[in-house]
Amino acid sequence: MAQLRLSSLCKSFGAVQVIRGLDLDIADGEFVVFVGPSGCGKSTTLRMIAGLEDATSGTISLDGYDVTRTRPADRGIAMVFQSYALFPHMTVADNIGFGLQLQRQDRATVAARVAEVATTLQLTPLLARYPRELSGGQRQRVAIGRAIIRNPKVFLFDEPLSNLDAALRVQMRLEIARLHHKLGATMVYVTHDQVEAMTLADRIVVFNDGRIEQVGTPMDLYERPANRFVAGFIGAPSMNFLPVRGDGTRIESPGLVSVPNPRGNKLVTELGIRPEHLSLADGSDADISGEIELIERLGAETYAYIRVPGQPADLTLRLPGETGYRPGGQIGLKVDWSRAHWFDDSGRVV
Amino acid sequence: MADPMPGTRFNPWPATIFTILCVLAVLFLLPTVGVLLSSVKTTREISMGELWSLPSSVFLGNFAEVLGNPAVHQYFVNTLLVTLPATGVSISLGVLAGYVFAKLPFRGSNALFLVIVAGMFFPPQVILVPLFRLFNGLGLIDTLWPVIIVHSALGLPICVLMMRNFFATVPNALREAAIMEGANEWQVLTRIVLPLSLPALAVLATLQFTWIWNDFLWPLIFTQSDSKRTIMIGIVNLKGQYSVAWGVQGALSLVASLPTLLVFLFFQRFFIKGMTMGAVKG
Repeated sequence: MAQLRLSSLCKSFGAVQVIRGLDLDIADGEFVVFVGPSGCGKSTTLRMIAGLEDATSGTISLDGYDVTRTRPADRGIAMVFQSYALFPHMTVADNIGFGLQLQRQDRATVAARVAEVATTLQLTPLLARYPRELSGGQRQRVAIGRAIIRNPKVFLFDEPLSNLDAALRVQMRLEIARLHHKLGATMVYVTHDQVEAMTLADRIVVFNDGRIEQVGTPMDLYERPANRFVAGFIGAPSMNFLPVRGDGTRIESPGLVSVPNPRGNKLVTELGIRPEHLSLADGSDADISGEIELIERLGAETYAYIRVPGQPADLTLRLPGETGYRPGGQIGLKVDWSRAHWFDDSGRVV
Repeated sequence: MADPMPGTRFNPWPATIFTILCVLAVLFLLPTVGVLLSSVKTTREISMGELWSLPSSVFLGNFAEVLGNPAVHQYFVNTLLVTLPATGVSISLGVLAGYVFAKLPFRGSNALFLVIVAGMFFPPQVILVPLFRLFNGLGLIDTLWPVIIVHSALGLPICVLMMRNFFATVPNALREAAIMEGANEWQVLTRIVLPLSLPALAVLATLQFTWIWNDFLWPLIFTQSDSKRTIMIGIVNLKGQYSVAWGVQGALSLVASLPTLLVFLFFQRFFIKGMTMGAVKG
């Protein structure tokens, strides 16, 4: 297993700079998840770590050794691709053992290692099949098998579950978590699925526009986002943002009760409050009131979208699954001010 | 009685197209039928002017004469000596160049690709005299070398075009996965990409083999002695002093077309699609 360090890592495609000076330390055995919107540079960073893209500048170190210019195969890194990338003309056994065959290991050794990996991933009955004869989940397990057979120092996963249906995704997520627990390997995982990020990660790295916005444990990012972008990106449904204005002592916003400025005389321009930190309140107890625009019933819980006069966007409210509220009704909400987030005009948390 | 399919009208187009295709097929097959008929007739029967009539009896003497003729054996050997290496060289170079153009592009590679493919549009007659002078200067006239070299070179554009386009359809993730496993580019090509490209290789091998085997122009220009002639020139050479031996020529034509038929039958099992099914998501 290995420590991974990215130092001032940059990547440009022609004149377009897509990665703008990343610095990141990943500890031995850590499970780090890269998240961010499309085009933010998370997959490019992963490919640079793999060696499939050259870094324009900066260094990538594994266990203290600079591997920035090292061939992908010599880095001791394995990668699981979004599309599985199984070799269609090879059986499952040949796919898993391909790397060892290239190393010219003798057939008995390869067969023994393939059998071992197949047992770990419950692929033994499928070894003679071709990829086209497998389901999506089985293909993904073969791809993981191909990665683990070489005992790599670092595992890279590039959105490995994005092609699976919801039920299978949950199952495979558990399997990957189990695999990490069993192997204790350093793993870097790219996803845009917050549930995957929150459930799998030891630490999450939030990317935006080629930069790291924040690094922290899932609950760190949820409870203490560093800026508006992270606050809005982490959490589903996403945080409600209300533009506010204050005179230094009190803060006001359309439809919201006037409250003392919690940050003293610092400039605050936006209030962020998560849907789960709003609760129902009656009449004078309510901090904010509005009309229910839409109700989404998900079974275990219900989301209500509330139109507040004067606010640019609807507020999202999380309710229990069983609720009698209907669109068009009036509703009063109480804000859990202890969980509120305040942002200045540059989007930084105040 | 009610119309069983009310509202349906007779559409004349399928029947018209079918008829036209049948007529075209007959026209296309007629020369072959003519050759087949004359190959099993005696010279006397043919010279009586009954080229298209059925033979009074099947005469296999023409085939016996062709197969027993040492010159024909030499034609076959010469044609194989030209066709096999020229097919192999043009496809091999096409595979290598196509792989680079598809998977390892470099600055200007698209322009270079266009230049190579543009070679297809030069009529051979344009380069005929310069090539003759070149090979004459090299002392290679009346050897098989010019024929091999010219066919290898002229086959390159179509080979590069086809292989580059086929390789482009092989997902890049497969190459990257193989590289992550420790494969170099040669291993990626030979162990991953080429096995997935058998349909393209089969089509190309069939086309190249057929074109080179059936070529008449280049062996006519570059070879002179009978011992260096290829089979297509040989067919023309099989004539009497005062008359054309239609029966023998017909028999040799049929025999000469057998190798291309065999090549097609051998490779047609690779003419399948969906080799990449299951490689990626879906």
